[in-house]
Amino acid sequence: MKQVIALLALIALTGTAFTEVEVGKPAPDFTATDIYGKTVHLSDYKGKIVVLESYNQDCPFCHNQFKTGAMQELEKEMTGKGVIWLLVNSVNPHNSSHRTPEQARAEWAKYKIGATDWLDDSSGDIGHLYGMKTTPHMFVIDKTGTLVYDGAIDNEPDPEHDPHKADNYVRDALTQVFAGQKVTVSQTKPYGCAVKY
Amino acid sequence: MKLLRAIFAALCLGIFIPAAHAAHTQAQLLLANDMARRGDTVLVGVDLKMAPGWHTYWKNPGSAGMATKVQWQLPRGVTAGDILWPLPKKLPPAEVITYGYEDETMLIVPLKLASDLKPGPLDLKAKVSWLECKEQCIPAGATVEATLNIGSETKPSTNAPAINLWKNRAPRSEQLFSFAARWEKSVDDTTRTMIIQGTPTGANVLPIEKVDFFPGASDNFEVQGATEKVDSQIGFALRKTVKKFSGDWPSSIGGLVIVEGGGQTNGFEMNVPIMAIGTATPARSPSLSTSPPASTPNRSLALMLFYAFIGGLILNIMPCVLPVIALKILGFVSEAHNDPKRVRMLGIVYSLGVLASFWVMAALVIGIQSAGHRAGWGMQFSNPYFLIALTVLITLVALNLFGVFEVNLGSGTMSAASTLAGRQGVSGAFFNGVLTTILATPCTAAILGTALGFAFAHGPAVIVLMFSTMGIGLAFPYLLLSFQPAWLKFLPKPGAWMEKFKIAMGFPMLIAAIWLFSIASIHYGDRSWWLAVFLVFVAIAAWVYGEFVQRGRTRRGFARCVVILVLIAGYFWPLKSQLRWNEPLEAEAGGNSPKINFPELSAEPWSAETVALARAENHPVLVDFTAKWCVTCNSVVAPALQKPTVQAKLKEINARVFVADYSLTPPEITDELARYGRAGVPLVLVYPKDPSKPAIVLQEPGPLELPSHYAGAVLTALDQAAK
Repeated sequence: MKQVIALLALIALTGTAFTEVEVGKPAPDFTATDIYGKTVHLSDYKGKIVVLESYNQDCPFCHNQFKTGAMQELEKEMTGKGVIWLLVNSVNPHNSSHRTPEQARAEWAKYKIGATDWLDDSSGDIGHLYGMKTTPHMFVIDKTGTLVYDGAIDNEPDPEHDPHKADNYVRDALTQVFAGQKVTVSQTKPYGCAVKY
Repeated sequence: MKLLRAIFAALCLGIFIPAAHAAHTQAQLLLANDMARRGDTVLVGVDLKMAPGWHTYWKNPGSAGMATKVQWQLPRGVTAGDILWPLPKKLPPAEVITYGYEDETMLIVPLKLASDLKPGPLDLKAKVSWLECKEQCIPAGATVEATLNIGSETKPSTNAPAINLWKNRAPRSEQLFSFAARWEKSVDDTTRTMIIQGTPTGANVLPIEKVDFFPGASDNFEVQGATEKVDSQIGFALRKTVKKFSGDWPSSIGGLVIVEGGGQTNGFEMNVPIMAIGTATPARSPSLSTSPPASTPNRSLALMLFYAFIGGLILNIMPCVLPVIALKILGFVSEAHNDPKRVRMLGIVYSLGVLASFWVMAALVIGIQSAGHRAGWGMQFSNPYFLIALTVLITLVALNLFGVFEVNLGSGTMSAASTLAGRQGVSGAFFNGVLTTILATPCTAAILGTALGFAFAHGPAVIVLMFSTMGIGLAFPYLLLSFQPAWLKFLPKPGAWMEKFKIAMGFPMLIAAIWLFSIASIHYGDRSWWLAVFLVFVAIAAWVYGEFVQRGRTRRGFARCVVILVLIAGYFWPLKSQLRWNEPLEAEAGGNSPKINFPELSAEPWSAETVALARAENHPVLVDFTAKWCVTCNSVVAPALQKPTVQAKLKEINARVFVADYSLTPPEITDELARYGRAGVPLVLVYPKDPSKPAIVLQEPGPLELPSHYAGAVLTALDQAAK
């Protein structure tokens, strides 16, 4: 009996230890406020392909994607094809990289960001729910609400490379999703700065 | 005006632009040497000083961040080895564990200088790039440079101590634990838990308060930061979660095991295969049989005490001890008939003399250890004054045995040559015990290496216990015979033969004196010749004393003056002004290595860096820890290594050979020996070709082992190393 209890306790423990999302399973729903004060649910976008991008412009790995224009280009191209692209900013309010909604709107304009929306996650709730480790850390959710990609933006873990020349995992995943194929590279090790929870 | 404005703008730019980009980390290149010789390996340090709160990353940055990179721009003939990374720490936040450094770190790199470099200054340059983070992360970099002079000598720089300090913060190379890893269970398709088990290897006494595992960098899987300690009967066990991104599950796992305890943090490299789920606990895998535990028997205290006792017994038949013991035991033959009680009493006093001397040695060792130094056995040989004193003493003992003069310590009667075994005083018996111990020290290192290594690692109580046991072993035959003199009945009746035996015993003593002289000569080089001259002066004084003071009838006062004058002259001329006894040569590790005669492969002086370099180039490596004063090293190990079969094998597997000369007991070698649980030489290590595998520690040869037998063990190890 003791052993059974211990086993159950162990299962419970390991169960709580891995709340992170899993590729091939339904992506968990969340609620957040965007930088225009609007409440957003993931479930609002049911039936659409959704990309989540953990975002922090002060992080050189993120910034490299934007200063070269590569991220905006991809965002515009994909939103143009009906993809919902959400920036998730989980920087805590005490960090100097935190952005108030006004600052966020200014940054959006400055970098001509091509995403659908910017979600304020200064509580870190979405970040923790999805196990976002780095900025950037990318997630692709297909039309059925299943997580199909979790990992790095591309295969060059370096803050100074030319992203145009790298193999972009998100582009590859989305291309395969559009074609109705199985995503071949569905998990990679994300790289970047630690998310400033 | 325009010009002025331009100048002003330039000034602003000059001031503000670098300031705006100013890194929060200062990098500089430090060299351990101002001057080095060609062929040397010079340690350099890339020093990174971070502003408060900022950090940079380890070679595996963890879940985020970026490892610091060093790109060398070196002149021809200079090759950089791998970076020795100091132990990193886990950096916050808890959700995203990263590994790195705060405040300061120094990445140590060995630079190998080619043997055909031209003398003169060499510019060493490196581009260092890093990611520094506090609240934000900033990629930064610097080009660091320094100048090294190639010349005729190796001159350390003022930075050498700092570089050594940081080098010592790198993982320890010794295997105080044997590691094993196994999969525990599958959590889901891409997540598993893994158990890492560490078992202490014998002599390890590291206190364990906290253990962690920092994984090496990996692309297609990630060992997550959180560590859970699992109950373990011996050593420790850790549970780590491994997340797979793509491909197959890893079959092996590498990284650093960090052990905290007793105010110290030690890191150990680990690289082991991961056993399948369901594999029984620790199960040392076959490939791990190369690690020390396989060759080191489980050393229980009782077993070690037994070794110490046997070792003490064996000391009785060592060439420098045997004559003294033999003569004293012979003394019973004449005396036991008359006064068995007294003989017993003298036997006990003698044993106390031995024990007291061993206790003094134990106290010395404990004193040295508690002063924060690492003690090694054989230290007495690095003390030239001790060596001179011992050489003089043994010469005198030999002269005494030859009958040149008499010794009568504490005995009332002036004994004539014929009554050598005459009554000895109580203090004489005590002194005899002390003398025996002193005479035995040269041999203790050779016989008792393992036992002493064990004792030195186990704190004062065990040291005292081991030394006492050794002393009892040494005194045992004498003590036993003093209680049972009847056992010597087979000997002929005391008579003139004893006088002849005594003289014969002088010759092994003479050999011991010559041997000690040759060790003393390590410390004085060409000047050693004058020590021999001094010995002649001592001999003359002894002769005048014996012939004209002890046995003379007239002018004994004058003879006494002559003895004193000869001794004074001997001290001031050969000893003081020629030998300059108080100015021995400086100790230098590997400086004058006793090169093993390798016909085709040259043996190189040992250093941790050169071994690391050779291993980085995938050479199997053999290291011979030896010393001129070590009997077993020179009578068993060296002949074994010189065997043509061993030489041919070394060549065949393209091995590099290093000799660590412990004659002058340099501290680096004492440390290295202690890492393998030894307090002295001999020690032979064979490092496998695969640099991730630990060294194979060869079993310590017995003093009477045949070189060919030992060569067999070396060949087996070399075969294993070549795989």
